[in-house]
Amino acid sequence: MGEAIYFRGKISWQSPISPSELVSVDQARAWGENVIWVDARLDADFGRDHVRGAISLNEDRWNELLPQFLAAWSPGKKAVVYCSAESCDLAREAAERLRKEAQIPDVFVLKGGWEAWLKKNR
Amino acid sequence: MKTQILAFTLSITVCFVARADLKFDKTEIELHPTPADKQAIGHFTYLNNGKTPVKFKSVKASCGCTAAQTQKDEVKPGEKGEVTATFNIGDRTGTQVKTVTVETDDAAHPHTILTLRTIIPQLLEVTPTFVFWKQGEKPDPKPITVKVGKQFTVKNIKVTSSAPDFQTKVEQAGKGEFKIDVQPKDTNSVTGTTLTIQPEDSPKVFYATARVTGAPPPAPMAPADQKAPAGQAAPVAPTDQKAPIGKTAPAASGAPAPAGQTH
Repeated sequence: MGEAIYFRGKISWQSPISPSELVSVDQARAWGENVIWVDARLDADFGRDHVRGAISLNEDRWNELLPQFLAAWSPGKKAVVYCSAESCDLAREAAERLRKEAQIPDVFVLKGGWEAWLKKNR
Repeated sequence: MKTQILAFTLSITVCFVARADLKFDKTEIELHPTPADKQAIGHFTYLNNGKTPVKFKSVKASCGCTAAQTQKDEVKPGEKGEVTATFNIGDRTGTQVKTVTVETDDAAHPHTILTLRTIIPQLLEVTPTFVFWKQGEKPDPKPITVKVGKQFTVKNIKVTSSAPDFQTKVEQAGKGEFKIDVQPKDTNSVTGTTLTIQPEDSPKVFYATARVTGAPPPAPMAPADQKAPAGQAAPVAPTDQKAPIGKTAPAASGAPAPAGQTH
């Protein structure tokens, strides 16, 4: 109880990602060609390295980048959005905008982000 | 023995009195930028109330979209200063909460979390920002709703399509609301357009996309132990898939990028 009171102002205000919206690297890779990888990190990070074939879609240049994603998307495809690590919010925010604003179904957040991807592919 | 106790008590007292004490006036700031602003800047002012200098070890923002700076590396006793947090608004919308973690050598308060809450005003809310027709689908019009933000007044909007293959019709749909009907001329081939939505008397521009999409991709051969997350439908049966006109389909994913291949 005491802890709850002490930490009331310190806990994250971000709503956690629902487990059904998360996908592991293995699971996403098993979807094969049916996946569009979406890199929600900022341009500099994307420029350094990214999942092969990933489309850059960050909120700095959302309006400019979104048409590229939409051109690659077709009904039935799944979008897997990632940012740098488990703790980053960029993927969750980008996924939410794709669902709510563009009304794209089947949008997932990669569990562990780019770090998890690297671990599996090194 | 008495001397030892006295020395111990004295050392504790000196430590307590001489300790550093960096205090921030506020650890949370709310900003209300205008629609024209590209950045929102928060100034977190502080004062060293202690008797010894405080050194900043690190100042880290929670997001690459925010830059945090201290004016100095060391704060002398009685000195004031500020940590500046600059949030790049970019194309972000709604309420954005970013944090800055300040680490100092102040043993009593080594970490302070500063919170920057930015309320980005939304002149127009466009929903959905994407409408599509499957190839061969009846080219019926599809609506896009444009709502004017509560604190704004927009009497009219102008909608322009980047491609002549799509027609748009705008009508008022109540107070502070517009309806855009988008219709492709046909759905025989994969095509797309960017719709530019501009409120009257405002330089701010909003976007929506309309596309005639290719057929769904072939169903993947998933291993027996792999299941799609709950509520996710399996992809539909394979059909011919074409890349959108003028666009290259993304490279086969699921494989690591070859060494040295960065874009």
